[in-house]
Amino acid sequence: MNARKIFKFVSLIVILAVGTWLLWPPSDEGETAGAAAAEAPGGPRAGVKYTIRFSPGNSYLPGMTPDGIGSPLKGLADVVADYEKLHPDTHIELVTAPVGVREYLVTQLISGMAPEIINVNVEDVWQDIQKNWYVKFNKLLDSPNPYVKPGEPGSVRWWDQIKYPGISRGTAAPDRNYYCICYDMVETGIYYNKNIFRKVGVEEPKDFEDFMRICQKIKDYTNEKGEHPYTPILLGQWTMADWCLDLFFDQFYAQITPGIDLSAGQDPERELYLKHYLDWDEISFLRKKGFFGKKDPRWREVFKVMYRFRQMANRNLTTIDPIREFVTQSGAMYWAASPFTYHLMVDKKLGFDWGIFYMPAFTQATSKYADGHPMCVIGGPGTQYEITNSAISDTGNPETSERLKRVGDFLYFLMAPQNYIKVVNETPRYLTNIIGVPVQPPLQPFDDFLKRDYSSSKWMFTFDLKFSETLLRMLDLYLNDGITLDEFIWWIETSLEQACQNIELRKPPDWAELQRSWDSKAPARAKMKDLPDEAYR
Amino acid sequence: MKPTDSTDIYRDRHYRLWFTLGCYGLLAATVILLTVFIYLPVAWAFTKSLYQFEIGGDSQFVGLGNYREFFNDPTLWPSFGHMLFLTSFAVCVRLSMPLIVAKLIHSVRHEKWRYFYRILFLVPIVVPGVAVQLIWQGLIYADKGLLNEALMALGRGNWTHGWLSNPSTALISCAFVGFPWIGGFEVLIYYAGLSGIPDSVNEAALLEGCVGIRKFFKIDIPMVLSQLKLILMLTIIGGVQGFEGMLILTKGGPGFETTVPGLWMYYNAFSFQRMGYACAIGVLLFVLIFGLTVLNFKYFKSSEEIQAIQ
Repeated sequence: MNARKIFKFVSLIVILAVGTWLLWPPSDEGETAGAAAAEAPGGPRAGVKYTIRFSPGNSYLPGMTPDGIGSPLKGLADVVADYEKLHPDTHIELVTAPVGVREYLVTQLISGMAPEIINVNVEDVWQDIQKNWYVKFNKLLDSPNPYVKPGEPGSVRWWDQIKYPGISRGTAAPDRNYYCICYDMVETGIYYNKNIFRKVGVEEPKDFEDFMRICQKIKDYTNEKGEHPYTPILLGQWTMADWCLDLFFDQFYAQITPGIDLSAGQDPERELYLKHYLDWDEISFLRKKGFFGKKDPRWREVFKVMYRFRQMANRNLTTIDPIREFVTQSGAMYWAASPFTYHLMVDKKLGFDWGIFYMPAFTQATSKYADGHPMCVIGGPGTQYEITNSAISDTGNPETSERLKRVGDFLYFLMAPQNYIKVVNETPRYLTNIIGVPVQPPLQPFDDFLKRDYSSSKWMFTFDLKFSETLLRMLDLYLNDGITLDEFIWWIETSLEQACQNIELRKPPDWAELQRSWDSKAPARAKMKDLPDEAYR
Repeated sequence: MKPTDSTDIYRDRHYRLWFTLGCYGLLAATVILLTVFIYLPVAWAFTKSLYQFEIGGDSQFVGLGNYREFFNDPTLWPSFGHMLFLTSFAVCVRLSMPLIVAKLIHSVRHEKWRYFYRILFLVPIVVPGVAVQLIWQGLIYADKGLLNEALMALGRGNWTHGWLSNPSTALISCAFVGFPWIGGFEVLIYYAGLSGIPDSVNEAALLEGCVGIRKFFKIDIPMVLSQLKLILMLTIIGGVQGFEGMLILTKGGPGFETTVPGLWMYYNAFSFQRMGYACAIGVLLFVLIFGLTVLNFKYFKSSEEIQAIQ
């Protein structure tokens, strides 16, 4: 090798080394501390008999900085460390699994490789209950929490510890079993910029028409440059398809549920919360009777009002960054869930006062089908922890599995008030669901919202996954003038028909029982106006 | 008598038998792998298309129920329409733009510069397709992306769009991803075809005064029909099968405005867990591709095949 070649070779190595050094990411003290906090309880130790993988979700994952503001979370890491100290044979491994991605979750569950404890919306779990992927919580919930002092709530039955038993019992699957523990609560509200409200000269609305008037006033407001600087309300695609649909649906259907709620009174525990709730079987049956289609005037009305409401929102529902728009004062209101409170509290650059109100009720001025009853609850369980089939991998039987006992024991420990407060109240984002652990004061409005009645049904996620997808997409298209209301109704009706057939294939409803219940409610329906023709036969 | 030379070896019956068995033995590994990983899954998909089947759940025989459902699925005709549009568009641009570029490169006098341009047009191949889609989605079509900003700079703010979110522009925007469609292997294939035209043909054309555009249409294109046929087939197969572009760019939205059958199959299989239904869509796509390929072979002749017929 001649000198020239050696020089070229050495130069390349030097350039590579210098380049790597220059591009090396700077060490971040906070990040390292966060990572260390997450890792601390997870370090390998001798004598470990049980390793429990726990995917707590980003809400409580140690090392995560919520919304990228404030300090990294560490509450859960401390609780895990305490548990491992108490049970040296157990290692709790905190994992970040994309359990919200259904493709991932399904493959992990079918192969028995999912983390033992995961955080998934229980409605997603309902889709899979017949596959034995999840462990029932019934026995755990009826047993005492060993980490609660004698005489305190939970010392006899875990259920007694739960602050919102109605909402928590509402998570029972259609097979009447419980597959999750409601760790905390969440609710939505409309955050508003008080400075903009003052400037425009409006106040919190009294009813939906008042709300529309306020939105129009904000929309029309002109600044000194002749611009319309404010978007009245910031909404996302999911906000409309999930929250808005359920609220508006309830406004038009709650008053006729005495005539169409076919499973009323069959499950007293669920009825505590889900009174008047229409579940899959009922929706399928009612579809056969002409509801939720072009013959159902209330159904059309729901989407007509949604379209009207949408005109007050941002141009693009899918690609907007509503948080940025709200904190930069481009949007006067933002419909969001309670965790957004934390963002507003810790954002030091926020230059305005803010408040929260709930979606106001429809009156006769909005629609002849409205009766002015308050908008219902659409929140409820926030973080929901499920135990997967990995927890019974030792024996395959929940009755004999030692591993499952340890998983359950850890959840008891996590829900003991002295531990729970460290995790849930580390930041003001979620409402507590344990008696004796107070809700943080900034979240008090949401605590009040949760006292309302629950929705008449939940259309997204719970009914049929394909139907949910179609609804989400076509509603977006309809709200953005891509199709007419008639076309939209046709799409949803067709998709609903297919979803009903699919449900019948998966788990045939008890049509005879539903028909008996339907017949018994005929007198109630006879007094109701504008039902589909089949409802009167 | 034992064979004495290499010719005699092949006449020996035992040797021939072992030689043949050896060949089959060597082929067996490939055949087994093909069977296990290609043919069995296809056969399995055919079978499962007759079942209501969820991952982790029980199978239930429904006969042609999945097919019937698909033909009643409101997404069926729109999605096939979108696929037809996108495939036709892709066929048009992939049969024309890279060929023009290949001809231009081929027409450059100096080999050094031809080499330079070949490299220049081939470099984009190394960029992964997913990255290209994300660049178009995030940098070009975004609300504050290159396209809208350019329109704003030109004083045409009223022409700005949510290109991928607006129902009227989403599909055509997807089709335009990759514009001007000249940075790919097609250029190289056409270039190879043009280089393969015998000098005698080029000289004869020159003597007859057939040059420029006329030569391109009368001589070059007929002589690269094999390459055109290959690209046509690959584009059609890719167009019918492909859905990853739509998944990345729009997820098939807004509404179902950019949904193609492949994407709907993917959603049914992995998001809705309706495996049997997804298999039925897959079978129909297979039949479609198979039919188009047969038609292509039967009616679109390459230059060699035309010569052979003549």
